[in-house]
Amino acid sequence: MIVAERKPLEEIRRNLAGRKKVLVLGCGGCVTVCLTGGERQADMLASQLRTAAKVAGEPVEVTVRTPTRQCDREFIDTLKADVEAADAVVSLACGVGVQLMAEVYETKPVLPAVNTTFMGAHSGPGTWTENCRGCGQCVLAETGGVCPVARCAKSLINGACGGTNKGKCEVSRDIDCAWYLIYKRLKARGDLSFLRAEREPLDWGMSSSGTRRTLVHAEVNDQAHRRGAEGAEGAAERK
Amino acid sequence: MSKFRDSLASGRFTFTGEIGPPKGTNVEPVLEEAVHYLKDCCAAVNVTDIQTAVMRMSSLAVCRMLVERGIEPVLQMVTRDRNRLALQSDLLGAAALGVENVLALTGDHTTMGDHKEAKPVYDLDSVGLLQTMRKLESGTDLGRTMKGEPNQLDGAPKFFKGCVVTPCAEEVEPQIIKLEKKVAAGAEFVQTQAVYDPRAFEKFMKSIGHIKVPVMVGIVLLKNAGMAKYMNANVPGVVVPKEITARLAAADKKELKKVSVQIAGELIRDMRGCCQGAHIMPLGWDKEIPRVIEASGA
Amino acid sequence: MPGRQLTSEEYARLAGSDALIETEWAPCRAACPVHADVRAYLDLIARGRFREALDVIREVLPFPGACGRICHHPCEQECRRNDVDQPAAIRDLKRFVAERDYPEGQKFEKPLQERDKVAVVGAGPSGLTAALDLARLGYRPTVFDRGEAGGGLLRTAVPAYRLPRKVLAADVDAIVAQGVELRLNVEVGGAFQLDDLRSQGFKAVVIAVGLSKSRGLPIPGADAAGVELALPFLAAADSAGPGLAGKSVVVIGGGNVAVDVARTAVRLGAGRVQMACLENEKEQPAWSWERHEAAEEGVATLHRLGPKQVLVRDGRVAGAEFKAVTEVFDGNGRFNPKYDENRLTTLDCDVVVFAIGQEADLALVKGTDVKADERGRLVFDRSTSRTSAADVFACGEVVTGPGSAVEAVASGHRAARAVHQFLSGLPIDLGESLPPKIDKLAPATAQRLVKAARAEMPAVPAAERKANFGQFELGLSEAAAMKEARRCMSCASGPFVLTDKCAACLTCRRVCPFEIPEVKEIADISSALCQGCGICAAECPANAIVMAGYGPDAVRKSVDAALASLDPKGLRLVIFTCGHHAPAARWGGSDPARPAVSAKEVFLPSMSRLSAADIMYAFEAGAGGVIVLECESGTCRYPTVELRLRKRYEQARQLLIEAGVAPERLALHVGAADNQEAAFAAIALMAERVTRRAQGWAPRGQAAKPQTAEEKSK
Repeated sequence: MIVAERKPLEEIRRNLAGRKKVLVLGCGGCVTVCLTGGERQADMLASQLRTAAKVAGEPVEVTVRTPTRQCDREFIDTLKADVEAADAVVSLACGVGVQLMAEVYETKPVLPAVNTTFMGAHSGPGTWTENCRGCGQCVLAETGGVCPVARCAKSLINGACGGTNKGKCEVSRDIDCAWYLIYKRLKARGDLSFLRAEREPLDWGMSSSGTRRTLVHAEVNDQAHRRGAEGAEGAAERK
Repeated sequence: MSKFRDSLASGRFTFTGEIGPPKGTNVEPVLEEAVHYLKDCCAAVNVTDIQTAVMRMSSLAVCRMLVERGIEPVLQMVTRDRNRLALQSDLLGAAALGVENVLALTGDHTTMGDHKEAKPVYDLDSVGLLQTMRKLESGTDLGRTMKGEPNQLDGAPKFFKGCVVTPCAEEVEPQIIKLEKKVAAGAEFVQTQAVYDPRAFEKFMKSIGHIKVPVMVGIVLLKNAGMAKYMNANVPGVVVPKEITARLAAADKKELKKVSVQIAGELIRDMRGCCQGAHIMPLGWDKEIPRVIEASGA
Repeated sequence: MPGRQLTSEEYARLAGSDALIETEWAPCRAACPVHADVRAYLDLIARGRFREALDVIREVLPFPGACGRICHHPCEQECRRNDVDQPAAIRDLKRFVAERDYPEGQKFEKPLQERDKVAVVGAGPSGLTAALDLARLGYRPTVFDRGEAGGGLLRTAVPAYRLPRKVLAADVDAIVAQGVELRLNVEVGGAFQLDDLRSQGFKAVVIAVGLSKSRGLPIPGADAAGVELALPFLAAADSAGPGLAGKSVVVIGGGNVAVDVARTAVRLGAGRVQMACLENEKEQPAWSWERHEAAEEGVATLHRLGPKQVLVRDGRVAGAEFKAVTEVFDGNGRFNPKYDENRLTTLDCDVVVFAIGQEADLALVKGTDVKADERGRLVFDRSTSRTSAADVFACGEVVTGPGSAVEAVASGHRAARAVHQFLSGLPIDLGESLPPKIDKLAPATAQRLVKAARAEMPAVPAAERKANFGQFELGLSEAAAMKEARRCMSCASGPFVLTDKCAACLTCRRVCPFEIPEVKEIADISSALCQGCGICAAECPANAIVMAGYGPDAVRKSVDAALASLDPKGLRLVIFTCGHHAPAARWGGSDPARPAVSAKEVFLPSMSRLSAADIMYAFEAGAGGVIVLECESGTCRYPTVELRLRKRYEQARQLLIEAGVAPERLALHVGAADNQEAAFAAIALMAERVTRRAQGWAPRGQAAKPQTAEEKSK
């Protein structure tokens, strides 16, 4: 799941630059689940905007909508009337949703209300922790299900660095050393052979450090005979 | 070419020292110290690479200046700040500048240093850097041509490749596994994290008996009892026995340096039987290195 | 039972109606013969809204005073608190509100009555209920009764120590006040015939004459002096004086009437009272609590005795002889007693009272088109409440057989509906589709619930009460009643999940103090297990959980109303507090100690319902400050509310400060919901802080230390 955190109100208001009619847009997807951008949080942001406007003596008209997801055009298309009636849209979706909104409603300022932070899992009451960085070359089969790319501060692939300290990372005592966990898990499984195997350096070209990535499922893409070929070529090129 | 390699190969107990490049352009003081105190007693001198992520002058530049002064440098190279393009480029440069000894390190995380906002690179890790050196030595690099074939170098470098290990880590098995991988990737010598417990070190050395690469025990001068305690508490894999801390605590202030040197010397004396050399990290007390070596009975 | 789910569209259509809260019933309501909305009136009592509670009862039960004392309360038997500790004292609470209201007098408005005249024969609970229903529907009912007052057997057969006459009279008066004409001392079937009613323009007749005749037994000696029948015995008891002084009485029978007879005999001075019944202890039909009370008063119960003969000496009763009962019910559970004629028991006594059952006196239908069957019972169609005559209906024990008052009332309702349909020219259809009741509480859930001891009904000790006919149960105090009402678990008031909004985020599961929600494709919140605290509804990030009886905008509407009632120029403080611990009825009034500050309470069913968004809304709506009054630690029936509320307050506080609201305009006070003095202090404190800041004593940024969540006002 994509995890995001609310931006400070001040920044959101600064970006709004005094616009009077604001559409606050929650998202019913990931940001609802991580308690940052669902309908309730959209309501609360709207409430904040109205109250702040009242305090500042500049009335503002805020409406709230929360589509199922902001990362699909079909859901975004249903917002047309509300978007057109607004001077600006404040979106609580992740960066994916904000961009798609901005693309669909090109002439309307679509402003982010959250910082998209990571892909993670619920790890305790009200807590989410990063687990995946979308590196595009999953090694979890070999690392006992603990991702060294996302969970090692240095994304090492050959084992812990010298900073590993009593099972914790040198960066913070609150962070587990991923390689310590990998070692423990593989040890418990009685097979350290993966740990011993020498690895080639990772291909970061497959990852978020590379170019913008595209996935095409030819079986549902009507232009797959054309674009699919391009896509396949593109993928091969990166190898 | 490398005298350092020859020294280890000869079976002589070998010493290396260590200097840190300046934060600024005033490089003379550190070079002078190296010439005065390290040149004669060390087979080679490590030059740290933006140690603890605190920005300093380039290690390669200082290494070259040592070469010019007749001191054989060990270029420390961390993978934190450069991607594989830059690392390979600098390695070729090092070879051209007469720097042959390279110590491959991952490097402390950027958040530990004085540029916490910097983007950490870690394109390769220490094993990857060793693999890279081996590749360059073979006349190719990590990339490929348009046809998917290895790039051919116009002139291949030759390195004396080193790596590090933490002998007294809490969990020693993963350390050994990683050391095995480093050696498999081409490491030819090992410099260890600071060791203060000869018996633990001996045990570690026995456990890596199958690894046929010279090991230089790491010696960090303990300047006072406070530092001993700090290292104990905060430096991963460093265990300072109580007796050492007690000796430092009991020492007269004027005698402290002497006690510190004495301790380091005794440690080397106690461990020289089970390893092939000592890497002395003086942390600014460069002048003391000859006395440490003297105290070790070498 | 699976949880309840709706789409947002469906919800939008139903919001504001009773449809959601009526989807399923609490077991108490399902068990009640008249389906009184127990949960609703207990909640109102807990909030101190007694009159409204009584109105809820009166909607379906015109005898709150009588039933508040003598009801057999099947609601309590079914109460899900049985699985936690003890059932809620529903009957005692009914009595409390009924009783409480009497001193103030009651004003009833007569409905507009322009429809047909309807005659009801018999002014017992069923007849009066039918008449009242018809009056409410606009008919003009007249109730005929041969007695000198209304109430039927409740008046003549229920002893005054259980049901004081004036309590019953008040119930009857209230019925009359609502448009029912009562004609007493009229015997229909005597000089005045059924057909006379027709000729007088009554378009329908309801026969509700009850079972007014006690049955005797044709055994030897049954005609001797000293042999009595239960109903005349009980009817005469009021005036009989200490007629049994020192005498030994044997009551034959094991039902509730027999117990009444026995306990009445004790009060009439009998030296020894013994009940002899066919059944063993388990089989005996009388309510266990009444048997227990009788035993306390010295009544002995002898089981498995079948009356053989009354022993007579000099024409008077000298004793009773019984044969042993070997079996009361046959293999099919039918009443079919078997005796061992050789095992005999003799009880010496002076008086024998037969309390073995009642039968109808059907003199009024003799020779009319209203037929009785060969066993002397009215020919009656249960599905239409109709007799053999098209315009004559019947209700109450005359057609249902012996039962309790509330069952008679239920039967009266059915007859009234039938009459209404008949007179409206509609086919009679009494079929009712009732909502399903929720399942039993799972043991795992029951275990997690906060236990609370049931209010004890204060009673006169047996030794004292057995000497007179005074009411022996003294009634609950107001404080005890309100506390007892809070024990109601608000069963079936749980939430609906909006299927299109739920993101299956698991928040409901994670915040539920009872771990009820299951999240599969979406959240599934079992209505049978849910305790209705609403914590999940206030936390759901998708606004996908709506409480059945308390919509997502309920708090906001209350805030709007509170602000509308305040002077727009004043401070306009909104005070959120628990309606149960800070009952509006007590807090709503004008108290001289109340600070002269523009402030208004918003009473919530529980503080668990107050969301961070609700707190924020108050400012958006124009509040000058918000005070959250939390209940005293550990007093909430829902675990974890304290913690949740503080977290929500802190969240709202941060977001509001971010929006520019001055920190001194926000406060949370722990323990103040139960303590009006503390609440007043909180109001005064905020008023002072806000005013001081406005005067520039503590400019922004150097404002007086912001109140923390922990800050208590004492």
